[in-house]
Amino acid sequence: MSAIQSAFPGAVLESRVESDRRLWITVDPKRLVEITQFLRDKKDFDHYSGAAGVDRINENLFEVVEILTSHGAHQVVVLMKVKVPRDKPSVRSLTGLYWNANWYEREIWEMFGINFEGHPELYPLLLPDELVGYWPWRKDFKGYPDTTTGERAIEQVGPDGYTEFKIMPHTELIKAGVLPERPKYPTFREREEAEIKSDSEMIMHMGPQHAIVPGPFLLDLLIEGERVKKAFLDVGYIHKGIEKIMENRTYLQGIVYTDRMCYLASITNNEAYCGAVERLLGITPPERAQYIRVILAELSRIQSHLLGTGEFLTLLGAATYSPFQYMIIDREDIVYLMESITGARITHTFVRFGGVRNDLPDGFADKARPILKRMRERTEEYMDLLHSDPIYTRRMRGIGVLSPGDARRLGVSGPPLRASDTPYDMRREDPILVYPDLDFKVVTRKAGDAEARVEVRLEEILESIHIIEQCLDQIPDGPIQEKLPKKIKPEPGEAYYRVEDPRGEMGIYVVSDGSEKPYRVKVRGPVYAYMQALPPLLEGAYVADVVAIAGSMDACTSEVDR
Amino acid sequence: MVLKSLKYTLKTALTTTEVTRLYPEVMMELPANERGIHELDATTCIGCGSCARICPNSCIEMVPYKYGNPLKNRKMQFPQIDYGRCTFCGLCVDECPVSCLKMGKKTEIAGWERKDIVYGPDRIAVKKFSEKEVAELEAEAKRQAEEKKKAAAAAAKEKAAKAKGKENKAKAKPDEGGEA
Ligand code: SF4
Ligand code: SF4
Repeated sequence: MSAIQSAFPGAVLESRVESDRRLWITVDPKRLVEITQFLRDKKDFDHYSGAAGVDRINENLFEVVEILTSHGAHQVVVLMKVKVPRDKPSVRSLTGLYWNANWYEREIWEMFGINFEGHPELYPLLLPDELVGYWPWRKDFKGYPDTTTGERAIEQVGPDGYTEFKIMPHTELIKAGVLPERPKYPTFREREEAEIKSDSEMIMHMGPQHAIVPGPFLLDLLIEGERVKKAFLDVGYIHKGIEKIMENRTYLQGIVYTDRMCYLASITNNEAYCGAVERLLGITPPERAQYIRVILAELSRIQSHLLGTGEFLTLLGAATYSPFQYMIIDREDIVYLMESITGARITHTFVRFGGVRNDLPDGFADKARPILKRMRERTEEYMDLLHSDPIYTRRMRGIGVLSPGDARRLGVSGPPLRASDTPYDMRREDPILVYPDLDFKVVTRKAGDAEARVEVRLEEILESIHIIEQCLDQIPDGPIQEKLPKKIKPEPGEAYYRVEDPRGEMGIYVVSDGSEKPYRVKVRGPVYAYMQALPPLLEGAYVADVVAIAGSMDACTSEVDR
Repeated sequence: MVLKSLKYTLKTALTTTEVTRLYPEVMMELPANERGIHELDATTCIGCGSCARICPNSCIEMVPYKYGNPLKNRKMQFPQIDYGRCTFCGLCVDECPVSCLKMGKKTEIAGWERKDIVYGPDRIAVKKFSEKEVAELEAEAKRQAEEKKKAAAAAAKEKAAKAKGKENKAKAKPDEGGEA
């Protein structure tokens, strides 16, 4: 902190050291890039973890919060804010410093209308073209169509007889300079015209509906012969606006929505949100509750890895020994264990502020131990099987290689990053709950290819089993819920909380204004980062390997779009 | 290699017990705290509406229903749940002050139309009063209400008398039903 202050006198307007892992600073917008460069080059902040926009309508300001951390050099998270006036919001883009700032800034632009100077491709990411210019995340957004004026979509009958409903673009407003000229996402035809240079090239669609994709997203591949020359990715087909919905619900009701961001990781999403609110409220859950939360988080990691790996192997056509079915059979046991605790199979809504919803059922440990033992045997079996399968190894080895440097630069996290020889795990970097008391190792691989990613996942299952067994041995008796005020109304403030999702770094940033509802919730999901890294990863690959590469990332579109 | 995978296949086939469920003939065994369709104990529900307020999807509506306890639930309002919107999150269950709303093990909901899966209190109530009991309770409630009214009237009279006695005190309002 003091290093920044001495290096840039006058540039730091405000600062707060929350703990030895969190540093909040507000800096002068004009010097943002300089300071960030200083942090990146001199202070090892080499991981751009995300950015959030906040609309401070009462102060007539927009805030952009840049979240910077380091890949293991130290464990400080810097949340750097810049404040810009609301009428002409513009911030310097950080895309020149961090490659992966691209999508985060695009999202802030389309949601808040904050311009990013120097951003290479400011066109909508999640929203449809016609919604641009309404800036839906702003606090004075009236709804679409505008609920206050009752403006409705206009019915248009096309030449082919289909009726379409359209909101007419405000041409006058664009002319008057109120709304920007809307940069459009290129249509397929336009893209073909722009990109195809020779006869041997063509554009191939994968998605929005395709067997390989875990949810709807569009992957356009410009291919020359068998090689992918360039890949274009478009997401936003299932944008649900969860962040905005959560602003309109009380803190407690928000937990329900975190489940629905990604159903395979609902416990960890709960955990991230509740953790952030707990920081705002200044409470810590009792120890027993912490153990229960760890047990559930690890169980959910196991089931997510099983499903992810199994699904991926099916995509590769591993039908002889049908690993998918086996993994589903095993996953069923784990899901049953989770169901016996929480009462639901996938959307748990289980973690509460300062505790958990209910205690472990009687005899849980006795029931869990044999299942975990069996699970361990089975996982070792899978590892042996995959390792000794020459077809599988040939298909996977050396495919989609991410070198450690690239992996860090592209901002991926979780198993793909660890498969690229970077031991970056939130359970170590930003320890929460009782993780510091538990013994586990961070699984890494050197190779960085698709095979390594699957290996990391399978080995993490073993680690998770080890963690759960320790928890079952150590779990103390005691209360499971901290005393809470009748109405949950945190003091005005903000908190950022990270957990290790099955897929990587999941961070939730919550701003409170002292009312019953959160002022702003921003979700920084791991899959968002993978997806962004996918196009450069696919370049130069064979079409047949696209499935292997995309699948080995274990993506979940629902969380990308939120 | 192929032999090896086949070995595992065989091993699994021989050792793993049955995997396919016989649903719908045999329902799988559900754990004790399964979050299925709600169960309402209409005899204890006090009609406070907490469940309706906490529901994140506003699927609970308070509707009139006959077979409840008029002593506790004066307006005879009970929750009706729209399963077209319910996410089975269980917040309503946590919030209920008298723990009369629970979630059971039944999970099957089907209907031809949307309104078929809006379950009124009669469909989610697992405990309710019979017609006769309700009548008795109602009589009891009436009697109590009357008593209360009398008591209130008496109290009001007393107060009025007091107020008259102490004229220097400003208007004493009769406090209806306050002490009853
Ligand atoms: S379970 Fe959740 S969604 Fe369903 S009625 Fe209760 S509070 Fe509403
Ligand atoms: S079910 Fe419970 S929370 Fe709902 S109205 Fe009845 S007493 Fe109140």
